[in-house]
Amino acid sequence: MKDILHIARAHITTALRERITLFWFVVFPVFLLTILSLIFGKVGNEGEISFEISLINQEDSASSGFAFSDVIAGAFHEMSTTVDGALEPLFSLHTLDDATDSDQFLESELTALRRGRRAAVLLIPAGLNQAVVANLLQPDASTALADPVRLQLFMSDSNAASTYASQIIQQVLTEIDRRILVEMGRFDDNQAIASETHWIGGEGEETSYVDFVLPGIILMGFFVNGLFGVPGTILFNRDRKVLRRYWVTPLSVARYLVGFGLGHLTLCAVQFVLLYSLGVFVFGAAIRFASPASIGLLILAATTFMAFGFLIASLAKTANGGMATANILNMPMMFLSGLFFPTSGLPVFMMVIVYLNPVSYLLEGLRHSVGVQNSTLMPALTILLVPIGWILLSSLVTSRRLKWDVER
Amino acid sequence: MASATAKMAFTMKVSQLTKHYGQTKAVDGISFTVPHASVFTILGPNGAGKTTTMEMLEGIREPDSGEIEVFGERLTKITRSAKQRIGVLLQEGGFEPYLKVHEVLTMFASFFHRAIPVGDILAAVELTEKSGALVRTLSGGQKQRLAIGAALINDPDLVFLDEPTTGLDPQARLNIWDIVSALQARDKTVILTTHYMEEAEALSDEVCIMDYGSIIAQGSPKSLAEQLGEETLIEFRGLDVSARAWENLQLFCKAARNDQMVITLETDHLTDTMEALFAWSRTHDFKLRDLTVRQPNLEDVFLSLTGRRLRG
Repeated sequence: MKDILHIARAHITTALRERITLFWFVVFPVFLLTILSLIFGKVGNEGEISFEISLINQEDSASSGFAFSDVIAGAFHEMSTTVDGALEPLFSLHTLDDATDSDQFLESELTALRRGRRAAVLLIPAGLNQAVVANLLQPDASTALADPVRLQLFMSDSNAASTYASQIIQQVLTEIDRRILVEMGRFDDNQAIASETHWIGGEGEETSYVDFVLPGIILMGFFVNGLFGVPGTILFNRDRKVLRRYWVTPLSVARYLVGFGLGHLTLCAVQFVLLYSLGVFVFGAAIRFASPASIGLLILAATTFMAFGFLIASLAKTANGGMATANILNMPMMFLSGLFFPTSGLPVFMMVIVYLNPVSYLLEGLRHSVGVQNSTLMPALTILLVPIGWILLSSLVTSRRLKWDVER
Repeated sequence: MASATAKMAFTMKVSQLTKHYGQTKAVDGISFTVPHASVFTILGPNGAGKTTTMEMLEGIREPDSGEIEVFGERLTKITRSAKQRIGVLLQEGGFEPYLKVHEVLTMFASFFHRAIPVGDILAAVELTEKSGALVRTLSGGQKQRLAIGAALINDPDLVFLDEPTTGLDPQARLNIWDIVSALQARDKTVILTTHYMEEAEALSDEVCIMDYGSIIAQGSPKSLAEQLGEETLIEFRGLDVSARAWENLQLFCKAARNDQMVITLETDHLTDTMEALFAWSRTHDFKLRDLTVRQPNLEDVFLSLTGRRLRG
């Protein structure tokens, strides 16, 4: 057993000490996650980003005789307006137009919120002005109405941008409330505008971009590791006759493979921890890889891509040939998998690659297992069978074709 | 088992070993015996089949036919169990460049049931100071010493050294000679290949000369040299010898050859030949530069058997 552990350790140590390996192993996926999250995840410094907010005002201030609802709406309109020379406004406001029914608009905006296209939906219900007046007329907070009409705030708790927006909106509402109370000469701790927040993201709906992209980035890290790292190590070690030194010792090819595989899977685990920690602690990812299905799929993915690496090593005559083959396969497999954009609607010849591509199935399965994708188009069995099929095919070709020593 | 080996007269016995590459017969039914606690050297020009022979004995390649008896066990190929007691220094072989010296040796030690402490091996190959250095930072000589360390980590009873000093400077070569001598002093058996005839002559107890996949001579360096008879060799620098002078030169010696600008005359009658040579020198106004008289050595045996020098 100690020989296997030493081979695994050698593989890990070498990978972590070699700069080019370290780049592909850590720097590249971290860089990609950072870039994608900052650009598409809309999580960054305040003032440099804009939150997509829906404002639905169902209150008719003319008939109620009070304009508190207009004050609230006006505040958000003001914050969504660009002042000359200023930074981008904090909110990008979506409001009801005259042609659209208010309830329909609310429904569509809530759907947008669930899909991560809105950070928040703010509903000013009919009767809010009267409720505010009633609150203001109470002598103190203890005699406030038990069930007043409340301002409705809808947020998605699976969207990091929504979490940020929630804090800002609450601050805005508190400030409006404080000003109304001061205007009315009230300095107690009463509340003029009662509000209610609904977190709807936790019900399994669509999620934030970081959550959407993180499983893909983790898979991509495993994929690059397997596609380049495995044949690179095997073929360069064969060409430099490092492997030959092993074969004159009692170490068998099988034990070498077990050690190598153990080292490779450990590297993938380290990579997973790094990327996942970055996603959670820096970009606010909410997904959890705690279920047996997600853990199993991660192991299946790392194993599939490792087997794919061995397949390339079996087909290439030299290390440089292996790297060229990996490069040729890398782009179509990565881009035609749904990693970065949906694959539906692609031309037929591209769809063939999508359906043969194990990355497509593993990605779909992994996203589904961590809850960032509610329904999968692929049957669960296919998600397992296609990658397992690739593992079996690669193992067969490897056992027959891979040369463990330079040819004479 | 080790004591049983010590009692045996030989460590390895090879019978009718054959290997083909396609239609080419690389090794053609060779047989030889490697005495216990000896240095056994295989010599041969390029393409003679010695590398294939070594690879079959080291367990890298399987023979097509034949038998190898090692440590008293008859085998058709070298098994993993036999490898426990064998150490191999490959002619060409690398290490993971980003591992440290002590990590390489620790890893190799893990492949065997028994192993010498890494610190002892580092001291034996004089790499203690480089213990924490990455392999990629070592010089050629240091890498070769590391390779020897890896080959000796299991305290092997049989050691293969495939061209151990090729490309090394004279001092590094002498260091490796010392290691070989130390192995022999500890009753270890060494099978050696080399491109340096003086190395074979200095280290070998037994020499086996191969050509075209077969063994063409075998014996101690001294006994092989004696096969050339009682003759003496006269050598001098052979620049600008005219055709006529060359013809006349061959009249008074047993044989003459001009190889790499050195003329060598073979004679059984040294005095007569020397007198004739001086006369020839005067007649053809030829200056006899670097004139030496010596007895035949292994190089001469090799040349006379193969028609080629070992380092061509």
